[in-house]
Amino acid sequence: MAAQDTGLDAEFRRQVVSAMTAVLARLLDRAEPVTEDMRLMEELGLSSTFGLELLLELEDQLMILIDVELMDQDQMRTVGDLATFVAGHSRPS
Amino acid sequence: MTALEAVSVYLPPARISIESLAGPLGLTGMQVKLFRRFHGLSEVGRDPDVSLSGLLLKAAAGLDALRGQEHRVRYVLWARTMPVVAPYPVNPLHEVCGALGLDHALAFTVTHQSCAGGLLAIDIAGRLLAADALAADGPAADGPAADGPAAGPAGPPDQAGPLALILAGEKAFTRDAEVFADTTVFGEGASACLVSAFGARDRLLAYACNVRGEFDSATGENDARLQREYRPSLAEVMLRALDEAGLTLNDIRVVLPHNVNVVTWQRMCLLLKFPLDRVVLDNIPASGHVFCADVFANYATACERGLLRPGDRYLAAAVGAGGGATFAAMVFEH
Repeated sequence: MAAQDTGLDAEFRRQVVSAMTAVLARLLDRAEPVTEDMRLMEELGLSSTFGLELLLELEDQLMILIDVELMDQDQMRTVGDLATFVAGHSRPS
Repeated sequence: MTALEAVSVYLPPARISIESLAGPLGLTGMQVKLFRRFHGLSEVGRDPDVSLSGLLLKAAAGLDALRGQEHRVRYVLWARTMPVVAPYPVNPLHEVCGALGLDHALAFTVTHQSCAGGLLAIDIAGRLLAADALAADGPAADGPAADGPAAGPAGPPDQAGPLALILAGEKAFTRDAEVFADTTVFGEGASACLVSAFGARDRLLAYACNVRGEFDSATGENDARLQREYRPSLAEVMLRALDEAGLTLNDIRVVLPHNVNVVTWQRMCLLLKFPLDRVVLDNIPASGHVFCADVFANYATACERGLLRPGDRYLAAAVGAGGGATFAAMVFEH
């Protein structure tokens, strides 16, 4: 789903994607770049625990609070899905 | 029908913050932040001056319904997460039975389902008491055969009938008993619960359980799969218990969870489409995961907060993880 279709702040979503892909590469100790279309579990092997650590790092880096209680993990298939959720369900900390 | 006659809980007034556990447990700053921010764990109870048997006795001390009724207690079950908690020949359970005047009771420990052991103990206690009643009445006794938790003769509650005492609670005495992976932090505390076979209050309507031996944390082989299947597996037993009780989630007033962490229950509620404010999460921030005593502690909290009215149906749910995983749920009528 493209950011422009959802009414999201496209620039903020780009920041989320940029931070997220960098954190994911580091957390997963991955030499190859992480891209938006990559599937979180099947492709990157992201566990629930790493997923929470990722969100925590994003909160710190972007100075936001993410509404984790609204996050349906089953709907977060790709890096892009998660970035869209974070961009649409967070507020300044 | 198996019923909870009385519940008493002891949570130590002394608390220790998650941050102060970081050093002794070797937790990283990130792990501590994760516990506090997403898992909703802020502090846990620690009572260094109270022994294991002392902890259980403090819970039993609040069980007014036991006073003068000791002779009716036929079984004492200790639902335990940790398989071994004291060096031989120390036996905290026998110490507790002696102190409570329950030496005549058959006392044993329920293990191997980790933190789901509390629900298993209720099931076992109900079955034992129902089977005793059936044996005493003979094969011509009224009511269904003792083939499940709802078994036993129907009719008015027997005010003088036999009882079982279920104890739960442990000391956070090793690293394994203090923290579980990046999932939860254990808190000390204890519960004591009197169970009858044919009581009228807090009647057990259904029990569903799924033991998954393949999720053995010792090998770590299936840890990722356990994380993926955790919530659907727990949801499956909750819905199965409801189905066996002839109910749906719409009939449930509150859910009494295991206190693994807050985010797990936030996600369970999304999966089940059940309102989060009807899950009794009050004890997680200040007490952590109190081993097998969670469900009893949360029952007591639900009663204190006036969340349960006579006739309300509620769902207790727990997962035991460690040497395999057990998913369990019980439906009760208050």
